[in-house]
Amino acid sequence: MQTTAASRGLGAVLRRDPSAPWRHLDWPLVGAALAITGLGCLMVFSATRTSMAEAGLDPYTYLKRQAVFLVMGLVVMAVVVVVDYRSYRDFAAAAYLASLLLLVLVLTPLGTEVNSAQSWFSLGSFQLQPAELAKLTTIIVLAATCSTGRSPLTRQRFVVSAAAAGLPAALVLLQPDMGSMLVLVAVLLGVMVVAGARARHLGALVAVGALGVVAMFHFDQVDDYQRDRFIDFASSDEAARGTSGFQGEQAETAIGAGGLFGAGLYQGTQTKLGFVPEQQTDFIFTVVGEELGFAGSATLVVLYGVVIWRIWRTALLAKDSFGTLLCAGVLAMLLFQVFENMGMSMGIMPITGLPLPLLSYGGSSMLTTCAALGLVLNVHMRRFS
Amino acid sequence: MAVVAVSLFAALVARLWFLQVLTAGEHELAAERNQRRVVPLPAPRGRILDRNGEVLVANRASNVVTVDRAELNTLDDDERKSVFIRLGAIVDQPPSLLEAALDDTSLGPFAPVPVVEGVDEEVLIEVRERQSELPGVDALQLAVRDYPHASLAAHVLGYVGAINADELAAAGGPGEPGGYRRASRIGKDGIERAFEDDLRGVDGEVTLEVDAQGVPIRELSRREPVQGDDVVLSIDLEAQQVAEEALAQGMAQTQGRRDPETGEAVIDGGSTVVLDVREGTVTAMASWPTFFPADFVYEITPEQFAGLNDPAQGTPFVNRALLGQYAPGSTWKLVTALAGLETGLVTPDTVINDPGFFIIPDCVRRCRVQNAGAAPSGEVALSEAVTVSSDVYFYSLGARFWQQRERLGKTPMQDMAELLGFGTRTGVGLPVEAAGRLASPAVRAAQYEANPDAFLTGDWFIGDNVNVSIGQGDVAVTPIQLANAYATFATGGTRYQPNLALRIQNQDGTVIREVEPRVGAQVELPAGARDPIVEGLVGATQSADPKGTAYNAFAGFPHDVYPVAGKTGTAQTGGGREDDALFAAFAPANDPRYAISVVMERAGFGARWAAPVARSVLGSLSGLEEPEPVAPVAGGFA
Repeated sequence: MQTTAASRGLGAVLRRDPSAPWRHLDWPLVGAALAITGLGCLMVFSATRTSMAEAGLDPYTYLKRQAVFLVMGLVVMAVVVVVDYRSYRDFAAAAYLASLLLLVLVLTPLGTEVNSAQSWFSLGSFQLQPAELAKLTTIIVLAATCSTGRSPLTRQRFVVSAAAAGLPAALVLLQPDMGSMLVLVAVLLGVMVVAGARARHLGALVAVGALGVVAMFHFDQVDDYQRDRFIDFASSDEAARGTSGFQGEQAETAIGAGGLFGAGLYQGTQTKLGFVPEQQTDFIFTVVGEELGFAGSATLVVLYGVVIWRIWRTALLAKDSFGTLLCAGVLAMLLFQVFENMGMSMGIMPITGLPLPLLSYGGSSMLTTCAALGLVLNVHMRRFS
Repeated sequence: MAVVAVSLFAALVARLWFLQVLTAGEHELAAERNQRRVVPLPAPRGRILDRNGEVLVANRASNVVTVDRAELNTLDDDERKSVFIRLGAIVDQPPSLLEAALDDTSLGPFAPVPVVEGVDEEVLIEVRERQSELPGVDALQLAVRDYPHASLAAHVLGYVGAINADELAAAGGPGEPGGYRRASRIGKDGIERAFEDDLRGVDGEVTLEVDAQGVPIRELSRREPVQGDDVVLSIDLEAQQVAEEALAQGMAQTQGRRDPETGEAVIDGGSTVVLDVREGTVTAMASWPTFFPADFVYEITPEQFAGLNDPAQGTPFVNRALLGQYAPGSTWKLVTALAGLETGLVTPDTVINDPGFFIIPDCVRRCRVQNAGAAPSGEVALSEAVTVSSDVYFYSLGARFWQQRERLGKTPMQDMAELLGFGTRTGVGLPVEAAGRLASPAVRAAQYEANPDAFLTGDWFIGDNVNVSIGQGDVAVTPIQLANAYATFATGGTRYQPNLALRIQNQDGTVIREVEPRVGAQVELPAGARDPIVEGLVGATQSADPKGTAYNAFAGFPHDVYPVAGKTGTAQTGGGREDDALFAAFAPANDPRYAISVVMERAGFGARWAAPVARSVLGSLSGLEEPEPVAPVAGGFA
């Protein structure tokens, strides 16, 4: 009778093989991520319970759905963790092309327009945002491209990498989804810096990007609301602020009103009375700010800090440069999203439609983030094998 | 990259610290402002009562459905139609009728238009509950003014309306103590305005918690409004009713004339004022034609308002008792007689021959003036001259005043008129009052100097004095001045600033403040003047021979118990128009209680038209006569 590792049981494997991946799971990262998602469920519930109850609906609707997303996320994370990350290199190209295809399809009538952006596929009661998937596949492709050959990056590989991120970035911009586009740019820069891109190459990339932005404004390719948001952000004059300025102001008011210890869970008036739009998704941080105060918000920032620190550490510990670069991409993605989202809620960044990873309500973002963290855990626990 | 990450996190924490610790206070305030809406609860106004506590103005609750045009205009046609269809079903009225209310251009585009008034409480609640289906529609309960006696005393009471920008600025805005709000209503005229501070009360407010859509969630706090205080007038409801009816009946019979210059139909007005000479108060004050203050309860249309001020409709809005300025005609002879006695120009026994006409001495042209009807009175002394209203007697005085001006001064008549209160406002305390005019050499010269083109000359001639002696020649008095002058004579020289209110009291009837009588002047009347003049005035109403000018009008009056000292007046108005009819009196002559003036524009002889109105009012005040329909009386050219 043949015996396999699986049939002998996990305990036996752990006992016999000290370098087995299971022994090297990064518990602090898992713990911090779970803490954030737990808090997120609570915050989503707080943000939606009053308005749902008033509409005569089940106040637990959002909480239940978010819990389902979380479970799905954990499953996805587990699946990502189980397969050795090095084998992802082989699927990278196919997954990347598939996600590009989805990005093209979402622009066709197959996609659904929400909040004036053509960003979604509606699959029954679940909505899929292909941009989220594209972030993940782009990270893998970039890591794959930049980890072959030597540092510093040659011009050829630099251009290929820039194009690999540039293509999906351009497609999401067409939706238009400025936020996801910026995430892709952040990912590109993060991977390249870690991969050892030459300063002049990076300089050239930044210059091209700046030119692109100027050209978009010049040829009026920017939607009015995007320009307004930017002007609102740049303008310090209260009177010049428009309706999107109102959104930002209400968000700042909510956070500021929380004070040191907050109004208490479910007690935020800005939250309860619906003064902050999109509160369970993009502006979820205002609930934390108003109801849990500085103590709660700062704790949340620290939790994200732990997540970022553990990813950084994993990048340093990774057995190969593919693993390092995967971590660098995930790190750049999360760092940018956390900073941009919290920053816009507090009025130090312009408003873009980006969720706060692990905290905001929404399935696509939750699955993407879980998968990304799964990659990091994967790299971490296979650093010896 | 680690440096980037650390600095980004540091930035987040720093910003958090700034928002939640350093500037938390202002954000808390902003959040609190966000969720609170303060809804004012307007205080019901105090009531206005007559001297016996009869209610002249009260309040009633009115449920009103309003629509906001600005908000409805943001809807497309179909949506707007369906709003009116839904509203129509609730208030049980055809939608088209409701929609027609939108065409009412009388209100500003932002003022909510009342489309249905006086609806049931259930309608009020339903409209509020279905707010989301009825954008721009609101239902509110208003305490509105209620006038149980319709137009009675309209000019005295005044009216209440929405505050305008000037009033808001003058009265102090919402922030200031006692300030008004943009939606406040305010007394616009009459007692409503004069006693605004007593009547308005103190608005309350309710603080509501609202959500981001402005939908109220719950009540946070409430301060109940405090109703204003009641104003108790000196007006006597019954006397006011009689005065208005008598005046209206008299005026009705003088109508139907055309203006001789324009040929257009005219409506002439009239007025009567009754003063309590002992109290120094107004007992009745009527002006005809009149208006309905209830028309101002909601908003009055510009057409309505223009009509109230249209001369072709008799300018019903104008309180002629205070604003009508008329040549006093022979009622002025009281002034001339007192001036003659005061200066010693005549004694009560001085006899002057009245052949029916008078040749003005030292005169260049138009030197012959005559009595009304050119009737001669023969040899007359003061009393008889007053009784029969001998113009020649008073012409003669006027001429002699001027001839002896070195000794008597240039203006003995005007000086006496001033003592009796002519030429200055009585100060009765309503918002607007005219001062009248006293013609004199100084005034004439000043007028000419100011505007040489408008006047023939700046000089004063003997003929001017002759004119003034009988209350013509650019002398103008208001009806209340006329009554107050006779009241001053009746009291022996106490000239009041007549009060319209007796006291202010709260809703329990507790007196807040008594309105004290105000003596405008204590006038020293010439010694020995009273008896002969009273005799002449009493003779005017009851002497058969010589026949008093108001004898016919007062035929059958209980003279023995309630003697009336009165004087008719017939004042030329020029331009080929009929004369103004006047009558002034006080009664009882032996123990004066009331003074009255009646003025009827272009009615004709005072004896024929004005005296019967006064008789009706005095008869009722005496308690001895039931008011009868007023009819013009025959005879008498005065």
